[in-house]
Amino acid sequence: MDRRLFLKSALAGTALGAFGPAGRALAATDLLWMTWENLAKDDYLAPFLDSHDVDLTKTFIGTDDEQFAKLRAGGASSVDLITPGLDKVSYYTASDLLQPIDFDKVPNAKLLYDTFKKTDLGKTDGQTYGIPFYWGINPIVYRADLMDEEPDWSVFFEGDKYNGKLAMRDYALEGIMIAAMYLGIPRDEMFTMDDKQLAEVKKVLMIQKSKLRTYWNSIGDLTNLFATGEVVCAFSWVPPYYDLKEKGLEMGMAKPKQGVIGWCDTIAVPKGVEGARRDSVFELVNYLLGPTYGKMLAYGGPYAQSTSAARDEIDEAQQEKIFIKDLSVMDNFVWKQNPPRYNDWVALWNEVKAS
Amino acid sequence: MSLRVGTLLAAPVTAFLLALCVAPLLILFAYSFFRVDFVAISYDPSFANYAKIAGSATYRGLILKAFGSGALVVAITAVIGYPVAWFLAKRAGAMKSALLTLLLVPLYSGDLVRVFAWRVLLGAEGVINRSLIWAGVTDAPIQGLLFSPLATHIALTYNYLPFMVIGLWLAFESLDDAWLEAAADLGARSPSRFARVTLPLTFPGLVAGGLMVFVMVVGDYLTPQLLGGASGITVISAINDLFGTAFDWPLGSAIAWTMLAILMAFFAVGAMLIRRSSLVGGS
Repeated sequence: MDRRLFLKSALAGTALGAFGPAGRALAATDLLWMTWENLAKDDYLAPFLDSHDVDLTKTFIGTDDEQFAKLRAGGASSVDLITPGLDKVSYYTASDLLQPIDFDKVPNAKLLYDTFKKTDLGKTDGQTYGIPFYWGINPIVYRADLMDEEPDWSVFFEGDKYNGKLAMRDYALEGIMIAAMYLGIPRDEMFTMDDKQLAEVKKVLMIQKSKLRTYWNSIGDLTNLFATGEVVCAFSWVPPYYDLKEKGLEMGMAKPKQGVIGWCDTIAVPKGVEGARRDSVFELVNYLLGPTYGKMLAYGGPYAQSTSAARDEIDEAQQEKIFIKDLSVMDNFVWKQNPPRYNDWVALWNEVKAS
Repeated sequence: MSLRVGTLLAAPVTAFLLALCVAPLLILFAYSFFRVDFVAISYDPSFANYAKIAGSATYRGLILKAFGSGALVVAITAVIGYPVAWFLAKRAGAMKSALLTLLLVPLYSGDLVRVFAWRVLLGAEGVINRSLIWAGVTDAPIQGLLFSPLATHIALTYNYLPFMVIGLWLAFESLDDAWLEAAADLGARSPSRFARVTLPLTFPGLVAGGLMVFVMVVGDYLTPQLLGGASGITVISAINDLFGTAFDWPLGSAIAWTMLAILMAFFAVGAMLIRRSSLVGGS
């Protein structure tokens, strides 16, 4: 039994999808996709699998770091498609784990929004290794019924009105980016801050810590904290805003003028995927950037695809919800990047939390 | 059963332990001497990571905090556990089995369930705060009940108390009441009987239960993370950050091995204390 077959067998018990009719078990091409669970729902993928002779196994990740660790530890030869963050692709390319995207086989890539066409992230030596897949923002979410006005980043650093009622994600990269935006550190210096700038960041993060109720680690937990009133304002992901609004709470979502953290996940093909499998993988990549998948993701996620393929098929309310109605929202984005001194960032973050 | 058959039967288990427990620890140990350069591990051995830990107030503080928490929870569970274990062993009678099962019931639920149960109790809108406000004890919720070291240690005590009680209960079960009766006949009062008879003879149970509690508290990062609020960082979560976010496996390995070495030292002292107290008890 080779490694691929072993891994697939081991995953068989836990894989969440067995697609289509039993006859597909004898399909010509077996693919393994390492991804987030919410991107690989059966109904999202059914149109592709119904029209292709592919047997798709999915293995789900809990964090981007976990995905990298698995591949770095030797898993690349077992996986056909992965879903790294745009800021993390350089990790993979530095470890020589990926092959360049074959754009001839991905015609839907022509529909990428300009921001994603132009970005240097996900590219090495002019070649794209991680193609932008879907994106969104990480805003400030707050209880509008418990706050007087729309907050910006300063709420985490100034005043004492909301002391003990704030929450911050326990993630060094974003935590330090927010402090840098608050301090007005220019975006082109943000990811290459020197010791003096990092010292300033540490100083304000210490102030921030004294104002926090907690650092959050899962979005479900943060939603719960909002619902119980333990937290009135947090650097958040979008879902608590809609989830709690639906439950009748008066929620607000703020996109600070100092900058909004934008995120984007890519799809990337590990090195070593060749022949018919490679062709099938790029067909799948093309499908994932196409209108059928994009529309389902927009309503089911709800998340925005990185291409305009499905945009015209999405009603305006939903476009607004996933930030594609007015694409100028991206002008104020600060896309996450991987700082060269990231170990120092993590050490600083831990120093603040341990203080 | 001959020695040869016994060895053969034990061989698979031994091989299993060596392959899946000892070997990974040795690999971790080897990694602790390497260093990381972006995402590449440089296999050039040095003590740099251990020097970094020794020179870092953060990591030293976190290690100290972990062992401090462990010691505190051991002390609290011992104080609570002694009377509970005594009652179970000496007074529960026919109810013993039922009470022992009841003692273990909290362990049947998952860690997360217990954490969220504590949030319901300790939260600003929780049962305790509402009761205090209703009773007029306070006008506003006491924020420090949840997301504080207090909340963390209450939950840790609750989580690991059964392990202390089990250790002490076993010790009390083997405690011959004749020793206490003899001490009473010789005029020893209750505190003296506890200090000079009960404590020495149940000491092995205290050490065994204490070590179990200690190790589990030191290794628990979910409870401090979810109940400890902004101060909920632990050395284990820092190791997690180093292995995951920072991809600094060597430094993470070095901290892990530092913790392991200290824990092994505690175990050695514990084993020595048990042996000494057994000798005392036997004499």
